[in-house]
Amino acid sequence: MELDNVTRPAGQAQPLSDEDKRFLRELVETNRIEHHGRLSYMDIMFDLEHRYGNSLPGPVLGEVARLVGTSPAQLNGFVTFYTMLSTTPRGKHVIRVCTSGPCHVSGAPAILSSLRQLLGVDIGETTPDGMFALEASSCLGICGVSPTLMIDDDAYGNLTPEDLPRILNAKRAGGTQ
Amino acid sequence: MKLFSTQIIVPVDSNSVLQGALEIRHVLEETIAKFNLGSQVSVVETGSLGIYDRGVVLAVFPDDVYYGNVIPSDVEEIVTEHLLKGRVVSRLAIDRSLSFKRLVEKESGKSQQKIVLRNAGLIDPENIDEYIARDGYGALAKALAMQPGEVIQILTDSKLQGRGGAGFPTGLKWAMVAKEQSEEKYIVCNADEGEPGTFKDRLILEGDPHSIVEAMTIAGYATGAHVGIAYVRGEYFMSIARLKKAIKDAQAYGLLGDDILGTGFKFDIEVYRGGGAYVCGEEFALLESIENRRGEPRNKPPFPPQQGLFSKPTVVNNVETFANVPSILLNGSDWFKSFGTPSSAGTKVFSLSGDIVNRGIVEVPFGVTLRELIYDFGGGVKGGKHIGFIQTGGSAGTVLNDKYLDIPLDFASMKAYNVSIGSGVVLVAASDVPLLPFLAEVAHFFWHESCGKCTPCREGTLQVKAIMDALVNRTADPASLQRLGVLLNLLSDTSFCGLGQAAPLAFESALRNFQSEFDTALAESHVPETCQEET
Repeated sequence: MELDNVTRPAGQAQPLSDEDKRFLRELVETNRIEHHGRLSYMDIMFDLEHRYGNSLPGPVLGEVARLVGTSPAQLNGFVTFYTMLSTTPRGKHVIRVCTSGPCHVSGAPAILSSLRQLLGVDIGETTPDGMFALEASSCLGICGVSPTLMIDDDAYGNLTPEDLPRILNAKRAGGTQ
Repeated sequence: MKLFSTQIIVPVDSNSVLQGALEIRHVLEETIAKFNLGSQVSVVETGSLGIYDRGVVLAVFPDDVYYGNVIPSDVEEIVTEHLLKGRVVSRLAIDRSLSFKRLVEKESGKSQQKIVLRNAGLIDPENIDEYIARDGYGALAKALAMQPGEVIQILTDSKLQGRGGAGFPTGLKWAMVAKEQSEEKYIVCNADEGEPGTFKDRLILEGDPHSIVEAMTIAGYATGAHVGIAYVRGEYFMSIARLKKAIKDAQAYGLLGDDILGTGFKFDIEVYRGGGAYVCGEEFALLESIENRRGEPRNKPPFPPQQGLFSKPTVVNNVETFANVPSILLNGSDWFKSFGTPSSAGTKVFSLSGDIVNRGIVEVPFGVTLRELIYDFGGGVKGGKHIGFIQTGGSAGTVLNDKYLDIPLDFASMKAYNVSIGSGVVLVAASDVPLLPFLAEVAHFFWHESCGKCTPCREGTLQVKAIMDALVNRTADPASLQRLGVLLNLLSDTSFCGLGQAAPLAFESALRNFQSEFDTALAESHVPETCQEET
């Protein structure tokens, strides 16, 4: 059974190309070797998100479930449990704003409301141009420079609302590859 | 090997990179080359020095001079003045007490004692030779020459207790795994650091990853395990990269693999990544996650030492716990017990955050007080303000007022005074930070992070959040505090795992120590009419 497309907006489901299938097969096999015969679904999912625009398309998950020998439902249960993974399409860059205690004390609420305003989207949404997804996150573990956020793999600290336009513009400019 | 007369230390970690450390290092190297000092001065990249509020920090040795808030245009001045002419650039120099606390030593007689962080900020974490030069892997060699039981005995005698929060005796845990009859056993390092306000494990992994590789290997030998797994938070990209590099280098030196140091002992380590789930810090949820399932806790007993990863006997220890092990084996259990208090041997790494002048990491013997941590090491509250509240132990910890400042922090005082140490969080909020919105955020955190497996936690955290939001918005009904009390008891008594059981701590302690804040919110509340009709 293939995963159906309920998690994807209608019209975006594309059958997997042969190249996709080859990529997935190699990805799973490389992972199996790296983990001495075991597998890390999490590693696989992170690699998939890199390839498929920060989300995990249903048909891809269906093929991966087949390759790793589990059911699509089990795999769907796995990916929907973890906050860092998404089955719905997300923007090119994922912004994670820390809202936990230390950042809250140092001004995270102001950072979050500035970002909402600057991007014109709420938490969990993507900007209309597909550039940024805004997410609230639990502690990022860089409390020494709170308030903090991460955009993709890059962390930013000691933030004020005035820093945000510059950071977003730099990401926009650099994010055209 | 080249000998250099001067070394410049550039701490490169997640925090300093944000402030431009990589660019500074690059400019420094270029400037040193430009002035032809390449044969005398070496630029050394290390992990964090634990100084966070001074921008990019450079340390010049052997002169023992520290520069703070360095920007690229300062570099040439440092090179030409200090390195060429030997004159300290006083404009940029900072008091070294910020890192090594000489000042504090003088003033209060207290100083940092670095066991866990002995190498962080001193060695290049990506260079195995530097770790070895600081007695690295000496403890492993010593352990391999002993019987496994002797290794465990030293740990048991040392009274090392788990540093993840629960404080379970490490020697006892290892002994439980050692006595299980099983071909397959596992050593798991819990590096899913997620307790809000904790950033010590990141610093250990980024600053001294080999200490974890060495300690896990020792644990493997002592308990008869051959596979180690480090489960690291998904967001800790630098920790993951440095740990993987350390594992690779250790394999190349024969310190991991099929025949470690020629003794025939076999052990290897793999890195698994987390996916952003706080509950995976719970040991069984973490093991479930490694087994490619949703991170939901399992029934206890059996505990991991009997049936852990893949239902096999498993040691699960926190990063900081492991980082203590090599020093204990090298220096002996009596040495370790000479630090701390009768109930709590050794040191604790505290993460200072919030409205505090010197945010960062300090490692001090157990028995330290909050006053020493906040005022001596932390430099006091920002802007000279008064303390509003202090949260210790993380979100799953206690909210305290300034009456608690002089209680010595150790495992005994935790129980006696209802003070959490947990993972070592000390979050300070100045008197102008409102308490209830903060608690509402804590409530939101637990509601979001509850895994949903058991009803008390899934529904209870939602109800606590609703009550806290109502108190903040002044829409709470008169019975809400009473209901909150019942809910908190229910959560701690009936939740399936530690997440739900510990979630009430912040609210219970806040109710004890800041009752009037709740009463005021209740007195000012007006229940919206629509709600009144419903109830």
